[in-house]
This record gives sequence, C-alpha cells and structure tokens, in this order.
Amino acid sequence: MRNLVVRRAIQMLLIMLTVSLLLFAIFDSDQFREKAAVAELGGFGIATLSADDYHEWLQKKGLNEPFLARYAQWLKAVAHGDLGRSVEKDVAVATLLKESLANTAILAFFVLLGLIPIALTLGVLAGMNEGSRLDRVISVAAVITTSIPQIATAVLLTVILALGLGWVPAKSAMTDGWSFRPLVLPLLTLLLYDIGYLVRMTRAAMTEVMASQYIRTAVLKGLPPWRVIMKHALRNALVVPVTLIFLELNGLLSQVVVVEVFFQYAGFGRMLFDAANFGDIQVLQAATLVAIAVAVVSQLLSDAAYTFLNPRVRFK
Amino acid sequence: MKAGIALLLALIWLPLAGYVMFRPALGALAPYLLLPSIPAVILLYGIAVRSWRESRVAVFGVTLVCFWLLMAVTAPYLPLLDPNKPIAPFVAPGGIKHGVLFLLGSDMRGRDVLSRTLWGCQRVLVWGITATSVAYVVGAGFGLIAGYLGGWWDEFVSFAGNVLLSFPVMLLFILVLNLLGQSGFNIIIAVTCSSAPVIMRIVRGLALDARSRDYILAAQTRGEHPLWIMWVELLPNVRGPLIIDACLRLGYTTVAITTLTFLGLGLQPPDPDWGLMIKEAATAALLWKYSYMLIVPAVSVSSLILGFNLIADGTREMSLRD
Amino acid sequence: MSPPAEHALLPKLRQQLERGVLSRREFIRFATLLGMAAGTAYAMAGVAAPVMAGGTLPFPAAEPGAKRGGKLRVGEMVARMEDPATYNWNEMANQTRPMLEYLTMVGADNVVRPMLMESWKASADLKVWTLTVRGGVMWHNGEELNAEHVAWNIRRWSDPALGSSNFGLSTFAALTELTGAKDPKGRALRRPLKNGVEVLDSHTLRLNLAQPVLSVAEDCGEFCTLVVHPSFKPPLSRNPIGTGPYTLTELRVGDRCILKRVEKTTDGRDFKYWGGEVYLDEIHFYHYEQDNQAAALASGSVDAIYELSVEQIELAQSIPGAKILSVETAQTLCCRMQVDVKPFNDIRVRRAVVKAADNPAIKKLVFGNHGTVASNFHVSPVHPEYFPLAPVVRDVAGAKQLLKEAGYEKGIDLNIVVGNNDGPWQQAACEALRDQVKEAGINLTVTVVPATKFWEIWTKVPFGATSWAHRPLGTMALAQAYRSGASWNESHFSDPEFDQALSDAEATIDVQARKAKMQKVEQILQDAAVVVQPMWRPVFILASSKVYGYKAHPARQMQLNKVWMG
Repeated sequence: MRNLVVRRAIQMLLIMLTVSLLLFAIFDSDQFREKAAVAELGGFGIATLSADDYHEWLQKKGLNEPFLARYAQWLKAVAHGDLGRSVEKDVAVATLLKESLANTAILAFFVLLGLIPIALTLGVLAGMNEGSRLDRVISVAAVITTSIPQIATAVLLTVILALGLGWVPAKSAMTDGWSFRPLVLPLLTLLLYDIGYLVRMTRAAMTEVMASQYIRTAVLKGLPPWRVIMKHALRNALVVPVTLIFLELNGLLSQVVVVEVFFQYAGFGRMLFDAANFGDIQVLQAATLVAIAVAVVSQLLSDAAYTFLNPRVRFK
Repeated sequence: MKAGIALLLALIWLPLAGYVMFRPALGALAPYLLLPSIPAVILLYGIAVRSWRESRVAVFGVTLVCFWLLMAVTAPYLPLLDPNKPIAPFVAPGGIKHGVLFLLGSDMRGRDVLSRTLWGCQRVLVWGITATSVAYVVGAGFGLIAGYLGGWWDEFVSFAGNVLLSFPVMLLFILVLNLLGQSGFNIIIAVTCSSAPVIMRIVRGLALDARSRDYILAAQTRGEHPLWIMWVELLPNVRGPLIIDACLRLGYTTVAITTLTFLGLGLQPPDPDWGLMIKEAATAALLWKYSYMLIVPAVSVSSLILGFNLIADGTREMSLRD
Repeated sequence: MSPPAEHALLPKLRQQLERGVLSRREFIRFATLLGMAAGTAYAMAGVAAPVMAGGTLPFPAAEPGAKRGGKLRVGEMVARMEDPATYNWNEMANQTRPMLEYLTMVGADNVVRPMLMESWKASADLKVWTLTVRGGVMWHNGEELNAEHVAWNIRRWSDPALGSSNFGLSTFAALTELTGAKDPKGRALRRPLKNGVEVLDSHTLRLNLAQPVLSVAEDCGEFCTLVVHPSFKPPLSRNPIGTGPYTLTELRVGDRCILKRVEKTTDGRDFKYWGGEVYLDEIHFYHYEQDNQAAALASGSVDAIYELSVEQIELAQSIPGAKILSVETAQTLCCRMQVDVKPFNDIRVRRAVVKAADNPAIKKLVFGNHGTVASNFHVSPVHPEYFPLAPVVRDVAGAKQLLKEAGYEKGIDLNIVVGNNDGPWQQAACEALRDQVKEAGINLTVTVVPATKFWEIWTKVPFGATSWAHRPLGTMALAQAYRSGASWNESHFSDPEFDQALSDAEATIDVQARKAKMQKVEQILQDAAVVVQPMWRPVFILASSKVYGYKAHPARQMQLNKVWMG
C-alpha cells in the first residue's frame, strides 16, 4: 500500500508540472494577450491605442515577459506557498480557492448524503429480483434519468419548483448568507443524474452476485433469503459501487461546472469556468492543481476501498 | 455483409456531414445531396433490428437513434416551416396564427418549434458522431501503439493520456474552444482530447491481453508488419467492449455538445440546435405556459441519448448471455 | 456666485424658438449644451420642466413620501472596478456612480445638467471653454474639490497612451495634436497639447481646444469620465475616494458589490454631500448574468435589474409586483461594410445590400412597436441637428440590377459577423437582414462570435454588425466612426468631401445653418452605402413596485441618488 501511495504521489507531481507548463504555454500567445487587453480596456479603448502604446501597455502589465521566466517565477512562488492573485477578482488565489472549495464541498456532502442511501437501496432492490416488475421500473427510471442532460433538468426544475410553485429561489447566489433552500435545485439536478448512474452500477453488481454459485448454494441450503442477502450477497455486491462513489468525487468536480454556472452557486466549478473564460491564469493554475490532486486522491481512496472490501484481494 | 454496413454508414454520414458542414459551398447540389441517405437509413434500421433482435432494449434504442437519423436526412424534404424565420411569437402548441399552424408552438422570436427541433438534430448528430469517431481513431491508434509496442512507447503514451485525463473535462473543453475558436471542428478536437485517453486506456488493456494470443503470434510468425497486425488482427478481435463504450460515449458527446452550446461555448447560432433552444428557453420561457419551448428540445435530446444508452445496455446484456 | 454670462448664440436660439424654426426640445438641448441651466431653458421654451431640486442641482425634487433608509438590491453582472477611465462595461460605471461622480449628468430626458461642474461657457468659435467647478464639494478624505483636481482628470483622459475610450470623444481628442509621425500600422500619432488645460483659479479652468467642439458638456457626462481623486492608483476598489454620497465597502467580482452611505470623512469629520438628501442606506449589486436577472427578480432575490431583453417582456409581465420601464435611445446597430475590402470596394455591391434591406421590417421584427426606424446615416431624430432625409426604400429589383452590373448575375455570397455584445437582438436583426437580402440573390451567412471575441476583431472583419452606444449629438458618432483615419472608423470610409462637410457642420453654431449642412453630410454617408442601420433600439428595465425613482436611462446609466424604497 505504501509503495502505491508513493508511486502515485510521484506521478501526480510529474503530471502537475507538465500541466502547469502546458497552461502557461497556452496563455502565452499574442491572441491571449490581445484578449487580456480587450478584457481590461474594451474594444473601443484598445482601438484608440497606437502600436507602440499597446506594447507599452503590455509591458506595464507584465504580459510581455518571456514565458519561461514567468513560469519559473510562478513555480518559485508556489513552492513558497504563494498561489498568486486573481487578475479578474483582485483577491489572493488561496482565499478564492478556499471559499469556492468549501462551497463545493457543502454541495458534494449533500449530494453524497442523498446519493448513497437512495442509490444503493434502489440498486440492491432491483438487482435482488432481476426481471421483476420492481426491477423493471427502477431500471427504466434509472436509464432515463441518466439520459437527460443536466442543463435540461436544471431549467425544468427552475420552471416547476422556483417560478411555478415558488418553493425555492431560482438561483443559488445566496446573497443573504448561507441557507439550505437555494441549494435544493443544484442538489436535485446533480442527484437525478448521479442516482440513475449509481443505481445501474449497483444493480449490475448485485445481479452478478445473485447469479454466482455460492449464493445459489446458500439458498439451496435453505437459509432465509434476507439472511443470504444481508450476510453474503451485499458485501460482495457493494465493492464496485463503493469504489465508484470515490471516483464520483472526481466526476463531481467536472459536473458541478455546469450546475454551478447555471445556478450561479459560488463554488469551485464556477470559479474554474470564470477563470478559464477570462484567462485568469493564476486561478486556473491553482484550480487545475487542486483538480489533479482530487483525481489522484480519489483514485487512491477507491483503490484502498477495493482492497479493503474485496476479500479475494485482501487475503491474497 | 460487413462491407454492406460500412457502405450504408458512409452513404448516411458523408452526405449528412457534407450538408451540415459545407452547405453554402455546395450550392445547387445541396438540395439533392441527402436523397440517397433516406433509403440507407431505412435499410440500416432493418439490419440493426435483425442483429439486435435478441434484446428488446437494444431494438428500442436502435429505433430511437434511427428515428433521429431519419429526421436528420429528411428534414430538408419535409413540409416544414423555415426554422429560422420569425412568424409569430409565443403561440401555444397546436395554435394557429397568421394562418400558420404551429404543431409544437412557436418560440419567443416567433419561430416554429417543430421545425427547429427536427432541423436541430442534424447538427447534434453530425458533430457528435464525427467527434466520437475521430476520438476513436486517435484513441484506438495510440492504445494499440502503447499496448502492442509497449516499453517507452507505452510509458510516453500513457503519461500523455494521464496528463489529459487529469484536467476536469469542462476545463479542457473551455480551454480548447477559447484557444482555437468556437466551431464544430474545434469541438471535435476538444472531444478528442477528453475522450481519446479513455479509449486509449481501454484499447491498451485489450491489446496487452490479446498480444499473447495465438492469432497474433501466428501473424507474427508469418512476418507481417506490426502496424498491420494491430489494425487488422487485434482491433476486430477486441471490438465487443468497444461497441458498448462507443455507444455510451456517443451519449456523453451529445450531452457535451448541447451543454457547450448552452454555456455559449459550442456551436454558434443562428442555425437551430437543441442546446441553443434550451438556452433560449431558459432566458425567456421560464413560465409553465411557455415551457413547451424547453420541454420539446429537452425530450428530443434525452431521447437520442437514451437511444445510445439502450443500445449499449442491450449489447452488454447480449454479450453476457453468450 | 454670479450667473455665468450667456453664450453669444443664445439670443439667436431664443429668436429661432420664437419663430418656430427650432422645436422646443431642440432649444432645450442646445441651450443647455451652451451653458444655460436646464430649468431656465425649459422655462424659456415654455415647457413644464421635470420638477427639480432647485438651484443648480441636477437631481429631481424630493418626492412626497420619500423615505430615508433601507437598501436597494440590484441584479447586474458584478464587474471589476479597476480604472474608471478605462471602464468598458456599463456595469462597472453603475457600481461606481454612487461613489464617484461626473462633471455633468445626462438625465433620463437626455438633457445635460451640471454636476461637479457648476457651469460652463464656450467662446463664439467653440474652441475655448471656461468651466466652473462646483464649490463646497467634499471628497471622502475631507478635501474640497478644486479646479486642479478636475484639470488632472481631464489631462488624464486626453492621454493617448491610456487606452481609454474617452480618447475617442471629441473634447479629449481636441486636447491633443498630431506629432506628424505614424506607427507601423500607418496610424497618425498624437500627443497632448501643451496648453490645453489651464487652471485659472481655485474653481475655474479653461480648455483651449485644437478644433471647435460643441459637445464638451455632454462628453463630460460620458460613462468613462468619472472624476477620481488625484491620488488615484488603480484598482479603484482598493482605494476608493470619491465625492458621491456612498462608498464601496465590499467588492467580490462575479458575486456582489456593496456600497454604504458615507457618514464620516477619513479624517474624522462629518461628511456632507453637496447634492442634498439621499435616501438609501445601502446599495447592493448582486451578480446575475443578463439572462438570469428577470428570474432573480421573480424569486425576490433583487429589487431591480440592469436590463430586460425584449424576449423577456412576456415573462416579466407575469411577475407580480414588478414594473417594466422603457426609454427610446440613440443606441443602434451598424451593419457596416469595409469600403476597401473586396467585394465591398465596389459601391454597387454595397448599394445592392442596402437596397435589398427593409429597415422598417427589421425593426418591427426585432422590437415590435418599440424603437425607431433608422435610415443608414447614423444620425437619430433625437439628435438636435438631425436633418430628415427621405427614408430608404427597399428595391429588390434595383439591388439585382446593381449586382448584375457589378458582375454578380448569379448572386453573391457574403458573411456578416455579429457579437451580440448588446444582446441577442443584434443577431435577430442580422438574421432578418439575411432573409431579406436573399430575395435579391445575396446569400448572407450570419457568423455569431462570443462578445469578448468580437471586440478583438470588430475593426478587422469586412462585414460586421457593431452596436454603437447612445451619443447625445449626431456629429459625435459621425466624427468617431466615419471621419478618415479616426480610431473607431471600422468601415475604413474615407471621403475628403465628407470630412470637410462634417468639419463645417461641427464648426457651425447656428442650428438652422448647421442642420442644412448636416443634409450634405448625411446624404454623402447614405449615398456611399457604408452601413445598413435598421433601427434605434429601446431600453427596457424591470423593477419591483417597492422601488421609487428608478428610471430607464437611454445610455443605461443608473442614477440612484434619489431612489427610495417604499
């Protein structure tokens, strides 16, 4: 296990270095410099500048420095724990990152809180009785919810719950401080898709286990069905879904972009979206590094869970 | 048989892609271009239903997908209103205004929702299928290289794949589209960047597994070129899991394309497009009485994705039974 | 303080008003431009003036029942507040306006009123302007506003290296001269005039302009001309010192911008606002994307929004307790063709495009009964010097004939680039144009690019649809967009005869003579077929019925000093 962690950590560092270099290279083009100038001065403002004044302006903003020099500078700062400053928002990146990650963590917490019990229960119920009416209802519902794009769910939920019934606010900007009601729409949007996905995976794992030799033997031995399921089937069937839940953490980081942007929830996804659109390079760098770390750690957790839960691997 | 299916696919995809991507350049040819595709879709549907007949789920999926394919190739010949022409705004479904019947209503700018929906499937299908295919060619190519050649090739390709995979998917899309500009062709690149590494991993695993099999060894002793062996011997023998993945991936790509348009990053208006229709509805049609503007494209795009998902499910089910 | 001496032209204006040559509206516009107080001008024109606070204050009089206290929550995109002179979003200026102020204020009725500048006076040739700074205006740091402070700001706005869109305004451009050198792209370089801005005493300064400029007062109310303290260093959000009744207490870009009433100056004294009573305790701007603002108001998250798009009117009408406000403007869309790029270098092609377009139909399609039809010469009926040319008439056969002569019997493929920076109505207008010109054999494709991308290419595309903001005078936009070599001349239109005629008009004070001269200017531009300009757009806003005194402004400037919550 320790070897695995060390190997993953080294790999993660290597990837982080490559990715940050790539990002710097991407944002070192004339096209990007012009974009930055337009963002700051506007189309009408930049049109008043002569060629020399334009270059002077770039110089003043430090955009003309050779990119290796800027990269080295940034690396040095990061090594000292300074993640830089957001150009767009004029805030330390660390602050921005902390707040947005906290907001996304809250969202993710509630997603998992709803996801795990609902999806596992439905998946197990469906997989236990493969081919029954209950199974068919659950399976059909699951495949349909995983087929609706989240943008459509988001708008539809807004129409019904926010503007139609007026139960919750249409947007989750939380201008009056934190409260749960504005969280409902993003939460439901995420849950609807994720539950469908996890139900399908759990059901597949469960049917596989139910068809296996040792369950059949147990049933033949005359053990009551609920004992067979609780004692033998569940544990084996849950290996895959549980590892998937950890991987889902990483998937959430990508999914939340759409949901957070649509509902204007001040989380990690929206920060990432804003930074990528504005070309806020320092924010983007930090956010990407966090995303990579989350990806690697969730992979590790999922591996660990697999090792821990799966008797065949554990006892080897 | 295989050659026949390939021919049918080409007959559908080539004219459709040409029609969507280069319509202005086609000039007088454009109106006739899609005619041969109509029988091709019907024929393809027949073949697909036969080969998936053991799975009801898959047949249903095939029906959904083929329905949209058929709409995509017949849209220019159906008696539809001009999808971009504003006639009368906010007409409810089934309503008649200015002597025009709006079966599915008209949108906030007075355009016919039915014809926008039917025309809209062209863009999603063409760019979705093209992007997925390109991702497959690239991903499978690199996967074979990594899996079959191994060694430093494997190390390098796998690392590059890991680098791409470590970006959150949305970030990758935004970066590519902001950097290269927002167009269908760049969506292909963006989708390739995000999907190819996953495909590469799958193919690499399959290739590693298959490398030691007899038929490869036999080919090697015949003295065939490794690249030839990879394309002709390896790939067809690992196609089962790939078909399932491809169907799921088509679904993801469809979601991605509509989502990108929704975020204002993907295909640009004015041509009708499901993502765009949802976006416009999200601005102006937030009331229950206007929600048909939202529900129609939402149901359309969901049914297409559902079709892809069901084909994947059905195929998996059949492969488990064998 | 003694009333400023009248401009030499004022008696003549009065005469023209009396003879009926000048409409009342025109008289008020011109008289205020030349330094007459708005109230006096209204009175002289015999029109009931909007009820004002009295004196030289630019604000409306207190409404009966106006209550002090409470906060206003406004939904708009919350933007950065870097440097007011280089602001490029209206939203930035809206967030700043309660804190920093203009020298003049262009009201919702389109009349200019004195703000930090109490009065102004022009010489007969309009080249020398004397500006009087208002007395008793206190900065948030306790200092009093003086002429030096204002001169510092004006010099800054006239600096060609600043990259401020103010440099495109006639007044500030006229404070510079040509150096004679050119940059690699062939643009003539300019430098500030040596003695352009002169401080005469603590509250008086003089502008010595290189060319006659009529619009000094209005230029000083344009959205980038917020007056900052000379100690200013960008970003403004970190060190906000202003003269307004509010100050910035929190800015989170993309989230919120909170302004609170100033009670004490930073040196510990009681702050006294020069403009009398203000009602709101706090102004909160909350970030909502344009598309989401109406929904945010519907769920009660905000009390007023920045803008309502025309497609959202149906939605807005069904929100209980909300009112839609609107105003007609001189904001427009110019589908302009670059006259030196093939195929537009052939005037027959441009004329064919113009002839094939049906401006009234485009306007009707996009804005219904709102807005005004335009006639392709970029001067609006709201402009005082507007000379009504015969409206353009659609002529498909004529367009076909022209195309044939130009060698395009089989039709021509064109592509127009639009950025929707002002909203999706721009794209709707281009699409309507596409459908119309098709009948003449012109296959127009509409390329929609993201707004930010558009500003990178707006001066470069051969055929593009650019939104032009409201400008108070007709000559202003013409000088900025169509004079040879002007920074914002996106069509590359260059005609010495036009330049000369425009300069003549700009230097002509007599309104009737000026109008007559505008006929030639407008006619040259219309005949040159440089733009298809279908309409002057209306602006819609939405507010809860609890909000009083919130008005739609033709340039979308929010003026919240007298807004109160019921």
